[in-house]
Amino acid sequence: MKSFLTVLKFELFNFLKNKVFKVSTIILCLLVIIGLTIPTIMDAFGKPIFGDKKKEEPSYTESKIRYGILIKEDAIELDDLQSQLPDNELINVKNQDELSNLVISDNITAGFIVNNPTNYEYLVKNTSMDDGNRFTFESALLNLYRSKSLSEKGIDYNEVLEVYNVPMEYETTVLGKDGMKNYLYTYILIFGLYFIVLFYGQLTATSVASEKSNRTMEILVTSTNTKNLIFGKVIAGALAGIIQFGTLILVASITYRLNAQSWNNNLDFIFNIPGNVLATFSIFGILGYLFYLFIYGVIGALVSRTEDVGTSSTPLTIVFIIAFFISMMGLTHPDMFALKVASFIPFTSFMAMFVRVSMGNVSTFQIVLSLLILAVSTIITGIFGAKIYRLGTLMYGNPIKITKAIKMLKDK
Amino acid sequence: MTKVIILLTSFLFTGFSLVLLIPIPYNLKYIFHKGADFMILEIKNIRKSFSGTEVLHGVSFSITSGKALGFLGRNGAGKTTTIRILMGLFDANEGEILLDGKPFNPREHSIGYLPEERGLYPKQKILDQLIYFGELRGLSRKKAKENTLYWLEKLGVLEYKDKKLETLSKGNQQKVQIAETLLCDPDIIVLDEPFSGLDPVNSQILKDVINELIDKQKLVIFSSHQMTYVEEFCEEISLINKGDIVLTGNLKSIKKEYGANRIILSAINLNINELQNILFNKVKDIKILESKNDYLIIELINGKTKNELLNDLIGLDIDIEKFSVYEPTLTDIFVQKVGDK
Repeated sequence: MKSFLTVLKFELFNFLKNKVFKVSTIILCLLVIIGLTIPTIMDAFGKPIFGDKKKEEPSYTESKIRYGILIKEDAIELDDLQSQLPDNELINVKNQDELSNLVISDNITAGFIVNNPTNYEYLVKNTSMDDGNRFTFESALLNLYRSKSLSEKGIDYNEVLEVYNVPMEYETTVLGKDGMKNYLYTYILIFGLYFIVLFYGQLTATSVASEKSNRTMEILVTSTNTKNLIFGKVIAGALAGIIQFGTLILVASITYRLNAQSWNNNLDFIFNIPGNVLATFSIFGILGYLFYLFIYGVIGALVSRTEDVGTSSTPLTIVFIIAFFISMMGLTHPDMFALKVASFIPFTSFMAMFVRVSMGNVSTFQIVLSLLILAVSTIITGIFGAKIYRLGTLMYGNPIKITKAIKMLKDK
Repeated sequence: MTKVIILLTSFLFTGFSLVLLIPIPYNLKYIFHKGADFMILEIKNIRKSFSGTEVLHGVSFSITSGKALGFLGRNGAGKTTTIRILMGLFDANEGEILLDGKPFNPREHSIGYLPEERGLYPKQKILDQLIYFGELRGLSRKKAKENTLYWLEKLGVLEYKDKKLETLSKGNQQKVQIAETLLCDPDIIVLDEPFSGLDPVNSQILKDVINELIDKQKLVIFSSHQMTYVEEFCEEISLINKGDIVLTGNLKSIKKEYGANRIILSAINLNINELQNILFNKVKDIKILESKNDYLIIELINGKTKNELLNDLIGLDIDIEKFSVYEPTLTDIFVQKVGDK
C-alpha cells in the first residue's frame, strides 16, 4: 500500500507539473469564464441578450419591399390590397411588359398580376430557397377575398378572426423527466467525460510508453509490484482528470453565480442537477474512466516508442467514440434498444447507463447490475493489465498485439 | 454551489473507495537484512522457454556473500534472461533459486540492480527521482534522501542533484544510475556492465566502491565483457554459452587448471620461429600450443615434468629468457570456451 501511494503521489505530481495539463486547464477555465461573462459584457455595451429590461420598440430602418401590381379588369382595389400589406410599397403597373421590365431591372422585388380575386400570376427575376414574397402576397389576397366574401354575407371578418385566433392558456406538469432541461446538462457531462477519457487515456499511454522507451521500467518493475505501478499511474491520471474537471466546474459555477443576473437565471438548471443523476455520473463516470485508462496503460506497455502510442490506441479510441455516439443518440431516444444493450457493456455502460438514468426510466436492479459488471470489469482489467504491463515492459521492438500478449502470458 | 460540492465529493469518494478495493496483497513489508550476515545464493537447474524455444537449459551456479561472481557470456548467451529470472521479472519453467537453502523471493530482499540498458527519467530532477526509487524500495522519504545525497556525493555528482538527468554527460548519468542501484543499501547487488561510459578516473571511483561493497560482505553479481574488470573483482566466475553454464567455479582454480602442464618459454639467442623448430625436432613429449609474438606456450604431455623439459633445454644450448608456468587470462579462457570453433 505504501508503494502504491508512493507511485500515486509521484505520478500525480508529474501530471500536475505537466505543461499540457497546466496550459489546457488555464485555457479551458478562460474559455468558461469568457463564455459565461458574455451576457454581462453585452449588457455593458447596451445589447442585452436575455429579457430586455427596457422594452424597446422594434424599429425598421430598412426601406420597404416593393411589389409591382397589375390588376386586370378591376378584380380588386389596390388600396384594399395595400391595407393588407402595410409593410410593402405597392406600385400600380399598367401592362405586363412594364411589370416585366421593372422586375428585370430590379426596381421591384416581385411582380403580381391579379386576374381575379382568387387567381394571380407571380413574376420574379430569380427564385431563391427562402423566397417568401409569393406567400406574403397570397395571404394578403386571401384575406382580402375572405373579408369581402364574409361582409357580403353580413358577417364581420374581424369577429371571425377573433374566434379563430383565441389564445389557449396552458400549464405543463412534467411527471417523468424533463427532457429539455436534462438534455443540456447530460450533454455537457457526457462531453466532459468524453474529453477527459480521450485526453488522459493518451497521456497515460504515453507516460507508460516513455518509461518503457527510456528503460526506467526495468528499474521500476524490479523495485515494486507491477500492480502498484499500473494502479498508481492510472489512478493518478484519473485524479488529475478529476482535478481538472472539478476545477472547471468550480470556475464555471462561480463565474455563473457572478453573472447569473445577466443570464436572467436561464442556466440555473445546469447547476441544479439532481443528486441521483450526479451520483450516477460520478460513480459510472469514474469507473468507466478508470476502465479505459487501464486499457490505455496496457497499450502504452505494449509499444516501445511513444510515437507508436497513437497508432496502437486507435482501435480503442474508435470503440470509445462509438460508445460516445450511442450515448449521444440516446440523449434524444432514451428508450432506444441499442442504448439499453450498451448500458450493460463495460466499454459503453458508463456513458449509456448515465444517459438512461438522466433521460429515461431505469429500474434500480438494472443500475446495480450494470454497475457491478462495470466495477468487476474494471478491477479485472486492472489486474490483468498489471500482468500484461509487466510482460510488455520487457518486450522491445515492434508494438505487440493484445492477442499475442495474452498468448505470451500463458507461456510465462 | 451545493451540487458542485456534492459532485466533487462523489468524485473523490468513488476514487478513494476504489483505491481501497485494489488488491495489494504484499509490499507491506520489505525484509531488510542487516548486512554482514553470510549468505549463499544458489541457482539450481533453471530452465526457461519462450514460445516453445528453450533458451536456458538447466543453468546452475552459486554465489556467496563477500565475494563477487563474474557472470560471463557472449551476447545472447542467456545472461540477461538468467538475471531477470533472478530478479523475479520472469518465472522459470523449471529449477529453483535458494538463498541460504530457502526459496528466494527477490521482493523480500533488498537488491540493487543496475540493468544493462540504463533507465531513469530523463526529464525529472535527479534528487526527486532517486528519492522516489528509494521510497519504492521501502525506505522512508527521509532515509531515501539521506542515502541519495550520500551516494551522489561519494560518486562525485552531488552538484547535479537539482538538474534534470538528460542535461548530464553519459558518464555522469551512469554515476547517477549507480547511485540509484546502491541507495537502498542492498545486500545483493547485480551489476550489468557497470563500467560502460566511464573514463579511467571514474572507473577507479567505481572500482573502489565495488571493492568496498565486497569488503562489506555484500553478494555481488558482476556481468561484463571487460574481462580485466572481472579478473580484478571476481573470485568466482560462471560462464554461460547458448543457455548452458560451460564453466563455473573459483577463478584462480580455473586458471590453474587451464594452466596445468603448460609452460611459457622464450630464448635470448633464438627468435620464436627458430625456437619452435628446435623444440619441434629435438624435444619429446611436448606440444606447442600457441606461438605468441615473443613467447611460446607449450604443453607437457605423457607425464613429462618441468624439470625434465628444463634439462632438455639446457642440453640444447638454449639461452632461456623466460621459463614460467602459464597462467591463462580470463579472455583466453573465455575465447577458448565460447569462441567460434
